[in-house]
Amino acid sequence: MAKSNDLARIITGCKDGDAKCFSQIVDMYASRCYGYFYRLTGNNDISDELLSELFVKLVEKIGSYKGGSFESWLFKVASNIFHDHLRSKQRRKKLIEVQITEFESGTIEPKQSDGELTDKLQIQLGRMDEDTRELIMLRFYSQLSFKEIAQKRSEPIGTTLAKTHRALKKLRQLMEG
Amino acid sequence: MENRNRENLRELFEKFFDAEQAESCVEDIQKAEQIFREHPAPEPDDMLIANIKAEIAMRLQAARAHRFRRIIYEVVGAAAAILIVATVSLQLFQKDAPQNIDFIQASLIPTEIWISNDIAADDEDLVVFTAQIEQIEDEVMALQSGEDTGNGDSTIAELEMELIEINSDFWKG
Repeated sequence: MAKSNDLARIITGCKDGDAKCFSQIVDMYASRCYGYFYRLTGNNDISDELLSELFVKLVEKIGSYKGGSFESWLFKVASNIFHDHLRSKQRRKKLIEVQITEFESGTIEPKQSDGELTDKLQIQLGRMDEDTRELIMLRFYSQLSFKEIAQKRSEPIGTTLAKTHRALKKLRQLMEG
Repeated sequence: MENRNRENLRELFEKFFDAEQAESCVEDIQKAEQIFREHPAPEPDDMLIANIKAEIAMRLQAARAHRFRRIIYEVVGAAAAILIVATVSLQLFQKDAPQNIDFIQASLIPTEIWISNDIAADDEDLVVFTAQIEQIEDEVMALQSGEDTGNGDSTIAELEMELIEINSDFWKG
């Protein structure tokens, strides 16, 4: 409850235009949001760019947050930013595909120093289609419930559950295989 | 990330699958999610975070300046509107009030004659007519005294005609 009150106070500060409160939000969520973007794009530079865009957008849109789960709201904004990115920057999309292909073929060394396992997960995620990949990312990185994910995707909750189950099961098989 | 979903997965899956299938689904999901926990994504660079915070501070400052400018514009706009309304109201009020009417005097008689102390001298036409009348009067006097040697009746008649003509011209102007 104390944490929830703190978050409410921080958000109120953000709405009042307090830079320190925004800094706190960045500290609290930058890691998760970066992970979300990185797992979707597999690219550090694009993830950097999208993360910056997310928090800048947050400054503009914080007034439209009317309560409820802040994490859910934040990841909805993040998801919209990712989709805008895909729509408006086709060249970058191609770059991501090239990157994934290169990862798959093992022609380039991974940029990260997180070790072999992290790269393996990224490679396996790269084998999945974009829609499934985002579904998994929303499930893991955001606080969205299945009901909220289903609403966001405009599909019945049963469909979302089945797709998520299928995707995660496949991912597990790929990782274990 | 442990408490990221407050929903009961088993209960949720049981709405769509039988108990055994639901159990299996939940297990699959939990194991897959465990993979994510074991393979964390890279962390954002410290420099990136610092840049983001700086960008936010800059945007907030710009937004504050924009807000201030907007307030100034609104105040100036309101003041201008008040001024315009006040000016228009004042003009309307003045229109409603009784005004001093300037009467324009018009007359067939020239102003010079009205203001003149010696009409006969100031009006050129009058001077001419006066001279003619005086001449005619002299002629009449001469006729009456018998100085005129010509045909007396016709001369008088001519004079009368002349007098009538002059009189008529005078009133025609």
